Amino acid sequence: MDLRLTDAQSRFRDEVRAFLDTALTPAMRRGAAYTSGVFAEPEVYRPWQAALAAKGWLTYFWPAAAGGPGWGAVQRWIFETECARAGAPVLPGMGLKLVGPVLYTYGTAEQQARFLPALRSGDHVWAQGFSEPGSGSDLASLRTRAVRDGDDYVVTGQKIWTTQAQFANWLFALVRTDAAVKPQAGISFLLIDMASPGVTVRPILSASGDHELNEVFLDDVRVPVGNRIGAEGEGWAIAKFLLENERGGTGYAPQLLADLDRLVEAAAPLDPVLADRAVRLRLEAEALEMTELRTVIEIEQGNPPAPRSLAVKLIASEVRQGIEALAVDAFGLAGLQLPEHRPFHAEDAPGLVGPPEAGLAAARYLNARAWSIFGGTSEIQLTLIARAAPATIAGW
Amino acid sequence: MQLTPTDEQTMLGDAVARLLADGDVEPGAGPISAAAWRNVAELGIPALLLPEHAGGLGGGADDLMIVAETFGRALAITPLGEGIAGAADLIARHGDAATIDRFVAPVLAGDAVLALATGASQADGDSVSGHYPFVRWMPRAAAVVLLQPDAAYVVEADGRGLVSVPARLADGTPAASITLSDCAATRIALPAGEMARTLAAVDLAHAAEMTGAMALLYAQTADYIATRRQFGSAIATFQAIQHRSARMYVALEQSRSAVLRAAATGRDEAGFVRAATAAKAYVAVAAQRLAEDAVQLHGGIGVTDALPVGRGLRRILVLGRLFGSAAAARATLAA
Repeated sequence: MDLRLTDAQSRFRDEVRAFLDTALTPAMRRGAAYTSGVFAEPEVYRPWQAALAAKGWLTYFWPAAAGGPGWGAVQRWIFETECARAGAPVLPGMGLKLVGPVLYTYGTAEQQARFLPALRSGDHVWAQGFSEPGSGSDLASLRTRAVRDGDDYVVTGQKIWTTQAQFANWLFALVRTDAAVKPQAGISFLLIDMASPGVTVRPILSASGDHELNEVFLDDVRVPVGNRIGAEGEGWAIAKFLLENERGGTGYAPQLLADLDRLVEAAAPLDPVLADRAVRLRLEAEALEMTELRTVIEIEQGNPPAPRSLAVKLIASEVRQGIEALAVDAFGLAGLQLPEHRPFHAEDAPGLVGPPEAGLAAARYLNARAWSIFGGTSEIQLTLIARAAPATIAGW
Repeated sequence: MQLTPTDEQTMLGDAVARLLADGDVEPGAGPISAAAWRNVAELGIPALLLPEHAGGLGGGADDLMIVAETFGRALAITPLGEGIAGAADLIARHGDAATIDRFVAPVLAGDAVLALATGASQADGDSVSGHYPFVRWMPRAAAVVLLQPDAAYVVEADGRGLVSVPARLADGTPAASITLSDCAATRIALPAGEMARTLAAVDLAHAAEMTGAMALLYAQTADYIATRRQFGSAIATFQAIQHRSARMYVALEQSRSAVLRAAATGRDEAGFVRAATAAKAYVAVAAQRLAEDAVQLHGGIGVTDALPVGRGLRRILVLGRLFGSAAAARATLAA
């Protein structure tokens, strides 16, 4: 057992650092530092996404056959760590992390040829249409219906909590294509052009005042049958595959550790009680980092991931919320600033007192409450873990 | 980067587990017997972990983790951490040939136990004075190693000027408070940082023992909630129970990750002291919480002396506090 990087891995890390030194511009770093939401906004992330795409690193966690760079698990971890430490914008996951793997796993050759290049180029910006007003944790109860009419489905229903739908031109959605079978079996996975007649997006303002979330209304929206991924009724299986990618796959710890370090540095010196909280968070995040590495290496070696992979999102949520709560406590009233003007990174935004870690603390704290809700609530995660956890844990 | 054990290491863990299962080591029931400890030595455990020039095999921090976790699973109450990873390893690394021959060779054979203590003492040439409360294994030790930042002093247990008042810790570990008055000692000079590295290795051993104890308590609890029936159903079907046991599973995996981080760093690498201190700080808290949850999910029987659950809680209570509390370790990490 050895944590040291091989010479090749060290050289790769140097290559990533050299790339970040030049490709990650001060404007991109500033935009990321003034991002209060879960993901950067398009005007912040687009130039960074383009730089990564030009380098061939945008789809770094995709397999080589799907257009990824063919990196191993440790390389991916090095890349994520270096990006997080450098303060790179956090790209939205809906396209690259969620629908991308669905497309290269379940899509036809024709669908892949149509959608993957546009995803990589940034021409397609994706939103996720899963949750509905009546279907949160009980996702299988969803009611948005898709009725076959010739070569189209006619889709009617409402999606909610749709992150960054205001920037998206495509929506991947779970819809009910068969109401007669058991709920899970009647669900299909559709790709919906948001320019289609009948699609309406309405903003939902968060408690932070940020506009991250939306409602998406679908009224008799015609969607070509060719936009269905997988077979009719296969949507639930695809959704489970997608949620596993959302909860695991890449690492949360690199970003958590980098953000915690930036906070501790910005708030120094912390009083002993807060310093202790910071250490506890760091211990949890460092353990998470090893849990993530154990898991990705396991997958790379061709073994099914242990149920501990289910714990990754649960722990990451708790550390994320702990970091943002610490920030609110660390800066006094400067940590409670919440100007109405958005976005924070805009040139004409009113000045915030202190570093961005202080100025954005309140907004980040409020937004981070969503971590234990999206992608499956922590309560759902615990139930899944309890179901999957083995009765005994083998030794090393 | 290599995070999985070699085949030899897996076999090592299995061999230790079999030895402890086959021997008369009742989980957590009391300190290991002299005969059972000799069997451990015959299997070559002290030798595996001690340096080659002292007659060992020079095993690494990862070997120590694997052995210690296996000891923890059996709730074997032994001087593995303090006596071998601490005292014997220190003498083997820095003592001269005569000192190694005198104190380490009997440890390799399983004939002697060494105790380890920190704290101030007054040294005057080759004699030391001082008071050391609750030195573990002292009642059975051939000698105690007094660890100081720049030197270690080895004092024989039956030497003149040593007064020993025996005690017993919560998990059954034998201990004694000792007062030294101008005791003859063998002084071993230590390079800078070696005291910290030695205590970090002890911390790593204790953290790994705790993850072993956690694995035992988790498995016992999973078994218990699957069979215990109330309201007409196994209690494992109730969500409140499921979520608590899921938290136990998560805590165990995170704790093993924290220990792995230290073990895979390697004892003599930069970052080892920090990683081992972090492992102790993290695991001590997580293990106690898990043991308390194990007691809770067992209900009334959990608070009795009848099951390994209560004994596991006692063992974790002690292991998590040797050479300083988790809070003290966190304070070190915050500095």
